Amino acid sequence: MAQTEIKSYNLNFGPQHPAAHGVLRLILELSGEVIDRADPHVGLLHRGTEKLIEYKSYVQALPYFDRLDYACPLNMEHAYVLAVEKLLDVEVPPRGKYIRTLYSEVTRIINHIMNTTSFALDVGAMTPMLWGWEEREHLLEFCERASGARMHMAYYRPGGVAKDLPAGLAEDIYAWCDRFERFLEDMETLLDDNRIFRQRCVDIGVVSPEDALAWGFTGPVLRGSGIAWDLRKAHPYDAFEDMEFDVPVGKTCDVYARYLVRMEEMKQSVRIMRQCIEKMPDGPVKADDHKVSPPTRPEMKRSMEALIHHFKLYTEGFKVPPGETYTAVEAATGEFGVYLVSDGTNRPYRCKIRSPGYAHLQGLDLLSRGHMLADIPANIGSIDIVFGEIDR
Amino acid sequence: MRDTSVAAGGAAPLSPGPQQDALLAAVGQEIQDKGFVLASVDKLVNWARTGSLWPMTFGLACCALEMIHAYNSRYDLDRFGVVPRPSPRQSDLLIVAGTLCNKMAPALRKVYDQMAEPRWVLSMGSCANGGGYYHYSYSVVRGCDRIIPVDIYVPGCPPTAEALVYGVLQLQKKIQRTGSLYR
Amino acid sequence: MLLTAEQIEALEDLGHHIASALPEAVQATTMARDELVVRVNRHDIVRVLIFLRDDPNCMFRQLVDVCGVDYPDRDERFEVVYNLLSLKHNQRVRVKLSASEATPVPSVVEVFPAANWFERETWDMYGVFFSGHPDLRRLLTDYGFEGHPLRKDFPLTGHVEMRYDDQQSRVVYEPVRLTQDFRSFDFLSPWEGALDPDAAAAAAALPGDEKATTG
Repeated sequence: MAQTEIKSYNLNFGPQHPAAHGVLRLILELSGEVIDRADPHVGLLHRGTEKLIEYKSYVQALPYFDRLDYACPLNMEHAYVLAVEKLLDVEVPPRGKYIRTLYSEVTRIINHIMNTTSFALDVGAMTPMLWGWEEREHLLEFCERASGARMHMAYYRPGGVAKDLPAGLAEDIYAWCDRFERFLEDMETLLDDNRIFRQRCVDIGVVSPEDALAWGFTGPVLRGSGIAWDLRKAHPYDAFEDMEFDVPVGKTCDVYARYLVRMEEMKQSVRIMRQCIEKMPDGPVKADDHKVSPPTRPEMKRSMEALIHHFKLYTEGFKVPPGETYTAVEAATGEFGVYLVSDGTNRPYRCKIRSPGYAHLQGLDLLSRGHMLADIPANIGSIDIVFGEIDR
Repeated sequence: MRDTSVAAGGAAPLSPGPQQDALLAAVGQEIQDKGFVLASVDKLVNWARTGSLWPMTFGLACCALEMIHAYNSRYDLDRFGVVPRPSPRQSDLLIVAGTLCNKMAPALRKVYDQMAEPRWVLSMGSCANGGGYYHYSYSVVRGCDRIIPVDIYVPGCPPTAEALVYGVLQLQKKIQRTGSLYR
Repeated sequence: MLLTAEQIEALEDLGHHIASALPEAVQATTMARDELVVRVNRHDIVRVLIFLRDDPNCMFRQLVDVCGVDYPDRDERFEVVYNLLSLKHNQRVRVKLSASEATPVPSVVEVFPAANWFERETWDMYGVFFSGHPDLRRLLTDYGFEGHPLRKDFPLTGHVEMRYDDQQSRVVYEPVRLTQDFRSFDFLSPWEGALDPDAAAAAAALPGDEKATTG
């Protein structure tokens, strides 16, 4: 019998691939169809955000955060806004806190719908996407009604939110919550016990809890590996302290566990949204400090001082006392942190963005080794990567 | 002026109604009578081209999500014959959706070069149009028209799904106006 | 995310604990805005992180972030910042060290595999060299990129820009030519003066001061 030596060969996956969730380029070393090594090449969407932020005033830099993880924009803003508030030592009024909490859950659902449904599409289920993105449209409408923009809202501002919710919006969100729960049930009947879906997910991409910690995994990926850790519980920010919700934890540490965690998180988000609307206090939505937050338009019509404040804020911005902080929030994908260094001027001296997807993607090699080529899309889908935040 | 001759693909598509019914009836009558219909070839070709614009899904950044929204249930670009294709060899239209960075630019050009003629390019969002919010960055191409020729620009950051649908409709008009067999 | 008094006290105790356990490695521990900052010697970073990871009072099992900061005026211009998280004690600590272009920093990939890409990024962005890193390639910038973009002396718009050249049928790099320059306004105007007497010394160095005397 003649023996043939099978040599491993390299496969270039991407940068333009529909299952790559963006502009990922993967160099795969394969022996046959089994992956020996996966080397992700990132930076294909490196836009120099951190450099640009150093050249913009604090408020001008805020919309860059929407454009980082464009699947859950407000979570990104939330981290930045909290960091700036920490350096400024500004207190946000309760209504502002509640609106921010409400909308961070809205964007969490926006992100999870995108992730779970497009991941289902990658492993062969088409219907959830067609259903789920309609729900996403409803949520984007809510975003549009609150801020005027569907995706890039720039709604959170240092000191609160840009403007109050319009009349009737809270009721509509509340009514949507009921409908959405029915949608989730439908989606679960499609996927949870689906044979093909399970074959593609169960026991794929297993990460032990120790590995998950050492590789810096956070969010649903860490929880899918059986570690109950949620920053909303650990250091509650804004109104999360007053909210009652559970943290779902996966048991099997695989792709399927991460999918289940995301599904359960959406239900918990709905719970938080309901509580937010029920308990929403009245009052102002942004700090009453015109050095930080702009005066209202009627005020500007009457008061010269308010007009000057407005002008100064939108030309020069505010100055932030020297100091530095690392502030993190539980974004939909994991721990999103902002390391902000101020030198006392109106521009950040350094703003390092710690994105969860970055740590997850560098663990792709760990997840994929020894798996088949076809498991790559399942793994990529389950770690929830968005290139805006990875490449920055 | 609408071309009222009995031809598949007049200058503007007719919306359902008595006018369209009359046209269809006339065409049917002609086929019954003579067994064939006369139409000018370039109009027929343009009708076919506008009716099945298959875009290459070149989702780069935020705009990609709005592009997917346009393909999805609510806006449903399929009804205009716009069906996303994952391969440049099968597609007629390249939608550049998002910020084009220096590292990605050679790939974009390669994809464009792989597309078969006739091909069109739609630049979506301010980043692809001219760099937008990232114009002054060291790593961003200031407009994808530095790399490939662009037919339609859709403004916005990101443009809504509706805006993209409008852009595709504008492109269909442009094809009908300028398309010919000679290139 | 305000910490309670007990949490702040626990962090202070932790600072003392770290300083007393590693006296020759730790230069200083400070509390700033309720966050614990540990400044260490560059060559001791691996030891410090192993201690922080394994000591029962620390248990910082997760390396959240590594990044660089550039202070061009200092002798060792770069700061490398490690952010760690302890799930056990629900605490965070920030470890800092300084480095220059010429001084390599020991890599901590052996301690935390997560450091791999973060160190690659810091090398890419600042040119801080990490010795012992298994694979110190550029990560985010373009293939063949020159320079380290997040250094303060690197211009915002870079040095080159890209265009497709029809004659050569490929993308080419050219020196940057902007139709309109980035508009950067001077907001550190001297006439506002230093509000805080302590800041008077710093204010003396404000850019734009020369306008007051020459203008």
